[in-house]
Amino acid sequence: MSELNILYVEDDPRAAEAVRTLVAADGERLAWEQTGTSGLQRAGAEAFDVIILDRMLPDIDGLTVVSRLRAAGVDTPVLMLSALGRSENRIEGLQAGVDDYLAKPYEPQELLARVKALHRRSSGKVHGAVIIYGAFECHVKARTGFRSGRHIALSPREFALFRYFMENAGETVTREMLLRDVWNMNFDPQTNVVDVNIGRLRRKLEDGFACPALETIWGAGYRLTTGE
Amino acid sequence: MMARSSRRSPPRSRSRSIFGQLTAASIVIAIIAVAVLFAVTTITIQRQTRASLSATVATDLAGLIDIYATAGRAELLRRVNDRQEVVSLEGRRSRYLIADGSGRPLSGDIRRWPPLNAALSEEGFVTLADGTDVYAQSAKLAPDLQLLVARQYDRDQASLLVISAVFLGVGAAIVGAVALVALITSRHLARRMDAVNVALGAAADGRASSFPARLRGGDEIDEMAGHGARLLARQAQLVKAYKQVSEHVAHEIRTPLMHLDNRLGAAMQGRPEPPGGPIGQSREDIRGITTLLDSLLDIASAESRRGELAGLAEIDLSGIVASLADLYEDSAEDADLLLETNITPGVTMLGERMQITRLLSNLLDNAIKYVPEGGHIGLTLEPGPRIVIEDNGPGIAQDQRERIFERFARATAPGEKHGHGLGLALSRAIAERHGLILRLGDVPRGAQFILEPAP
Repeated sequence: MSELNILYVEDDPRAAEAVRTLVAADGERLAWEQTGTSGLQRAGAEAFDVIILDRMLPDIDGLTVVSRLRAAGVDTPVLMLSALGRSENRIEGLQAGVDDYLAKPYEPQELLARVKALHRRSSGKVHGAVIIYGAFECHVKARTGFRSGRHIALSPREFALFRYFMENAGETVTREMLLRDVWNMNFDPQTNVVDVNIGRLRRKLEDGFACPALETIWGAGYRLTTGE
Repeated sequence: MMARSSRRSPPRSRSRSIFGQLTAASIVIAIIAVAVLFAVTTITIQRQTRASLSATVATDLAGLIDIYATAGRAELLRRVNDRQEVVSLEGRRSRYLIADGSGRPLSGDIRRWPPLNAALSEEGFVTLADGTDVYAQSAKLAPDLQLLVARQYDRDQASLLVISAVFLGVGAAIVGAVALVALITSRHLARRMDAVNVALGAAADGRASSFPARLRGGDEIDEMAGHGARLLARQAQLVKAYKQVSEHVAHEIRTPLMHLDNRLGAAMQGRPEPPGGPIGQSREDIRGITTLLDSLLDIASAESRRGELAGLAEIDLSGIVASLADLYEDSAEDADLLLETNITPGVTMLGERMQITRLLSNLLDNAIKYVPEGGHIGLTLEPGPRIVIEDNGPGIAQDQRERIFERFARATAPGEKHGHGLGLALSRAIAERHGLILRLGDVPRGAQFILEPAP
């Protein structure tokens, strides 16, 4: 993926520096604005791939910034990065027009994965009836999966997971993304439901093959390999 | 359905409205007042008429008795004949009868003796044989001679009828005017009271509301609306303050924790440690603190929004339960538990989808955490809505049955797992925010959580 042009609106210099270091290490470009007003001006003046927005800004509340951006016709995807991380806060953010919401403290890899996923989603990448990645094939309508031409028997929920990994092939998929996009939950259950479901899918995808199919990215989530 | 969806009271019928009652009472009082006044006036007029008739008849009778006493029977007969056809100044025609001892007429224009005892000088209203109503007085002049003097009072009756008609007309107009004024006034007051009621009802349901502006220059309703407006403003201020404080607390605690976490993360990058190492554990603890903080704020938020309709929508409960069952089936199997479901399709309720999902997820998490291998978990959804999550695990000790729903309460059974003990407190707060109750059922073995509409 070509490097992303990201705008980060955050009043806390230390938090901004942490993100700048993280994003730079990944090869993306980051523009930083310290207030809601300057962030709004910058977002209106330049084209960004993704905007990362703090919620509690000194001048204008982050939710207001998003509402004004949307009202002005700026549809750049916005990830709200906030210290307010309760599910109620997330719902408020989504209602105000943000595309994704991540609570502080966060795993650096999670932030990167979310930003990239947001960009993928917004760049309008439409998947066809068959998604192919490495040795894997996902037949969306027939709801079946193949690895190296071999059919893999998947239950409906396993197929939903597999399809999500295929749609985000090669990229890190976080627990929160899975909970939100596959199971429609914006909180983390107390038990290991995600790991168990991933474990099941992994066993099915890897059964009879030497190479791993899903790798665990420590502190971030999971990634589908090419399977080759 | 939402158990308390009937909180908004139905429109009042006119008979239950105090203004409707006041209108009805005003009309009834006006009718009674007019009726009493009419009765008193009529009775007074009738009494005066009787007194006047009695005096006139008595004077005439006394005059004739004098004539009889001084001039004898013949003169009396002649005078009575002369006096017939005389009409008094009041328009009352005179009638006379002189009869013998047995009542047989000797002279006069009355053909038959009426039922009055001459020996007792009886008087009163009588109807003559020709059908004429008169006031008559009798007198016994001699053993074989009795005299009856009467006056017709048809003109008096006609006057009374005219007075009655006028009275009834005026009375009806008064009653009508009272009814009209009462109706207009009560409608106007009811409209103003309704505006206050609607504003209070909306505020009670958590919807946006405002009180009507002062229009009448400060009567009792305006005063009440003023107090209501101040109450709403104060409530809004408290809610805002609560939200600000909770957001600031969360922000001020989370921000340094984030910096700490970032530094620990950076330290780990230079010096990787195996899983369970001290830095990794410290980062886990940081997440634990934020989760604890969020849960406490979630409970407070759910409790503060109890009974509020804002934010609630019709949700597909069957779909939510089925989706959760689907998600937890593998977890249960992984823990060597059997998850059995019995979900009635098409059950809906008024609620917040994410909150209800969280409530049920907490209960399923608990079951998976506490039921030992080989155990069984049942998940049932029935219309009502009624959701039962039961297991055949160690169950809840009798003295813990209410305590487990309190903050920081955890089952103290051996093999206790980690957690802050806020899950069930949050679940109960979410249930109550939806007009439901979350309680423990009485089962001989295991635990049974029942979620159903509050009684």
